[in-house]
Amino acid sequence: MKATWGLVGAAVVMSWAAQAAAQFPPPGGGPPPTPRASAPIDLTGVWVSIVNEDWRWRMITAPRGDFPGLPLSPAGRAIAMAWDPKTDGSCKAFGAAAVMRMPTRVRISWADDVTLKIETDNGQQTRLLHFGAGRPPGAPSLQGDSAADWQRTLPPNNPFGINFPGGPPPPPGGSLRVVTTNLSGGWLRRNGVPYSAKTTVTEFFDRFPVPDGSEWFVVTTQVVDPEYLLGRLVTSSHFRREPDASKWAPKPCRT
Amino acid sequence: MTLNRTCAGLTLLAAIMFTAPRPAAAQVNVVGYWNPLVADEDFIERVPGPNVGDYAGLPITNAARKRANTWDASLLTLPEHQCKPHPSTYGFRGIGVLRIWEEREAATQQLVRIKTHIQWQAQERDIWMDGRPEPSELEPHTWQGFSTGKFEGDVLVVRTTHLKAGWIRRNGLPLSDRATMTERFIRHGDLLTHVMMLEDPVYLSEPLVKTNGFAVAPTGTMEPYPCRPAVEVPREAGEVPHHGIDDAPPTREFAERHGIPEEAAAGGAATALPEFMSKLPSLPMAEPKGDPNEGFGPPAPPGGRGAGPGRGRGAGPDGAPPAAGRGR
Amino acid sequence: MRARLLRSRRVVIAATMAAAVVSVLAAQQAPPAQPNFDAVTVRSFKVQDHVFMLAGAGGNITAQIGNDGVLVVDTQFAQMADKLLAEIARLSGNKPIRYIIDTHVHPDHVGGNERFRRAGRAIVAGNVAGDVRGNEGATVIAHETVAARMSQQDGTTPPAPGGAIPTDTFFGESDEVFFNGEAVQLIHQPAAHTDGDVMVFFRKSDVIATGDVYVNTSYPVIDTARGGTIDGIIAGLNHIIEITVPRDKQEGGTMVIPGHGRIADEADVVEYRDMVTIIRDRVRDMTKKGMTLQQIKAAGPTSDYDGRYGATSGFWTTDNFVEAVYRTLGGK
Repeated sequence: MKATWGLVGAAVVMSWAAQAAAQFPPPGGGPPPTPRASAPIDLTGVWVSIVNEDWRWRMITAPRGDFPGLPLSPAGRAIAMAWDPKTDGSCKAFGAAAVMRMPTRVRISWADDVTLKIETDNGQQTRLLHFGAGRPPGAPSLQGDSAADWQRTLPPNNPFGINFPGGPPPPPGGSLRVVTTNLSGGWLRRNGVPYSAKTTVTEFFDRFPVPDGSEWFVVTTQVVDPEYLLGRLVTSSHFRREPDASKWAPKPCRT
Repeated sequence: MTLNRTCAGLTLLAAIMFTAPRPAAAQVNVVGYWNPLVADEDFIERVPGPNVGDYAGLPITNAARKRANTWDASLLTLPEHQCKPHPSTYGFRGIGVLRIWEEREAATQQLVRIKTHIQWQAQERDIWMDGRPEPSELEPHTWQGFSTGKFEGDVLVVRTTHLKAGWIRRNGLPLSDRATMTERFIRHGDLLTHVMMLEDPVYLSEPLVKTNGFAVAPTGTMEPYPCRPAVEVPREAGEVPHHGIDDAPPTREFAERHGIPEEAAAGGAATALPEFMSKLPSLPMAEPKGDPNEGFGPPAPPGGRGAGPGRGRGAGPDGAPPAAGRGR
Repeated sequence: MRARLLRSRRVVIAATMAAAVVSVLAAQQAPPAQPNFDAVTVRSFKVQDHVFMLAGAGGNITAQIGNDGVLVVDTQFAQMADKLLAEIARLSGNKPIRYIIDTHVHPDHVGGNERFRRAGRAIVAGNVAGDVRGNEGATVIAHETVAARMSQQDGTTPPAPGGAIPTDTFFGESDEVFFNGEAVQLIHQPAAHTDGDVMVFFRKSDVIATGDVYVNTSYPVIDTARGGTIDGIIAGLNHIIEITVPRDKQEGGTMVIPGHGRIADEADVVEYRDMVTIIRDRVRDMTKKGMTLQQIKAAGPTSDYDGRYGATSGFWTTDNFVEAVYRTLGGK
């Protein structure tokens, strides 16, 4: 009798396992979707920065030496204190470590299936965010080399922490992660607070709705510079979606 | 016997794995101690406190501006004002370690609420995760309000109502007791990005969105914060400090100190948009007076303010420097 | 959900205030239509310990419930009595109403006196215990000016029915009752909303029912025809702040039941007191400068608070409030 119930139980388990496996995509079945096709969030469109934080360091150029709170190293502080205000407006303030903190509109679009493009009207900068590995680095530049990947919503963890191979389709939602290196250095602030060529910038882009119906994204930017910063610098900048590009106003920076 | 036990165990295991209710996503863990990254952005506002008269970038109404322009910081010396904590609409922007923890129903392990505690003035808050409805509009309002939450993917989304009258910024910019707040807690590794969306039909012309960051605190400590009011300033009974509506607004002093147009200091939704930069050269702008760092950075070197195009304005619309002599 | 709550709140406020206008502006303009009482639902809220608040149409009612029976503060409108009495019976397990305390004379606070009184039963204190005068109904306590006004014709309002007029009055600063195991203090606040205002402090439950000395739905209503003044309102608000003790961080502790609006605590009263004081100071300063009433109104002494407390129509507009402040500060 006990043996009979045991066999019945085993049959039930195997039946359930078969049903579960049938839900999962078979391994090796078709090419994986492109980053463009599999984007968990849509960042394309025109967005405007809403500058209600650090206003007098972002909307205008603060005086030399005005950078309260920033964790600058002695070397970074010395460079900041030597900034020449006549260089205000330089493209150095529009490098990858700080461009998303500028008052600007951004236009985000797919250059191809594996490259997301971010253009700014203020400073007229272009960033190319490349999905996938294996791209040879170019020369150091203001925007550096950006490696992108999708951070997807984590699948539910069953009580025993076991996830089947292949796994169920991920739940909706996620973020864009971008890691930028190979920078030529620039300014973290318009008043010449520097970052060096050894800087790594890690960004997370997250979409969110606001109760009034508008759509926004926030980019959390982490700057690590072993030369000019003591520890990392983390800022979060938010943008609101524009209905169209009618307010796009290109304004060059000074090279 | 052994085979039967094994089969029975497998049966039980499968039953649990395939029949227990599970959320659609993992509900990322926000529990723990978090340090606010106050030095990295909005340092002046969040640590020493915002300047009186600085409303730049905020979508405030005329009513809010007038309230703030007539606000007197001495109000906070009244005993009945001394022990007020930050309301939940401001606490996450302040200083003080943040602790987040869960409370679950013992039998079902259902998440009942997430609690937050911020050290300064012991701001403790309940975020109800069990779907309970909002209380009646006649129920009391509190500093932390009534919050309900849910997970959208990996993001904790919280809605708060029933707030006491508070502040948009602690320089007199008010928030009414009709305000509501929506928040998103977004975790990336050891970073927590807090997105706050404030709506106030009285004092905000559009939603105010603020974002700031926290980092995992390697050590978890939380000190108590007792507060007992005392009479600090002898006054006539019933006196409420405030400035007259005809007094010079503090925006003027702030603008003069930092060399920005008073129209910028006065705030409004338009001052947050990039096109406001183009308007700046046409606005009257005083030469800055005093130390812009106000003691929170190296003293500005002599001549460090610059007479060049960078002085407070940046490049003009076509990249050319603004005309000399304008507003100086 | 938020829109529905806002609409619901506006309906309640409109119904309440529309009804209360009758006594305040009777001499100045035609009273508005009565609210549709059939559509009004009574809601009750436990405030603290023995004390409950009931909201319907008209002023908030406070009910202290215990083994001795029920003590109510204010009675709203006569047309609401059935619903209110039913809810009190449900909350109390059908205990009798022993005391009714009137905070002031307005019909949205005393309109139900007669019905409540007849539904209740008095207790005779002193040497005679028990229900000796059962046919006379509950005891109705108020400041003597309330009884005086309810007994006489004051222009457009007829005298109240005999059964509605307070049975026990006092003329000094205070009165007191011990009921349901706690001291209940009746505090007269002179020349505030009217000249007969009483606030009721439940000492053990730590709740104060303020009548219309404190509301959180509008600017203070100052019934100048019945002795109300802005300085009296401010004195009353400061008195409430003296009495209340917050539990922690300026929240909780002594709870406050306003004449109209949501349950509050000291911090809410402080916010309101600050607003009223600031506006009074502004009007006073303008008056000292020789500005006329019209000039003062045009200067907008309330504009930063209008979005929360003001009204451009209805029985108590912002203009009415500014004028009342001006006049009771001595403006001509």
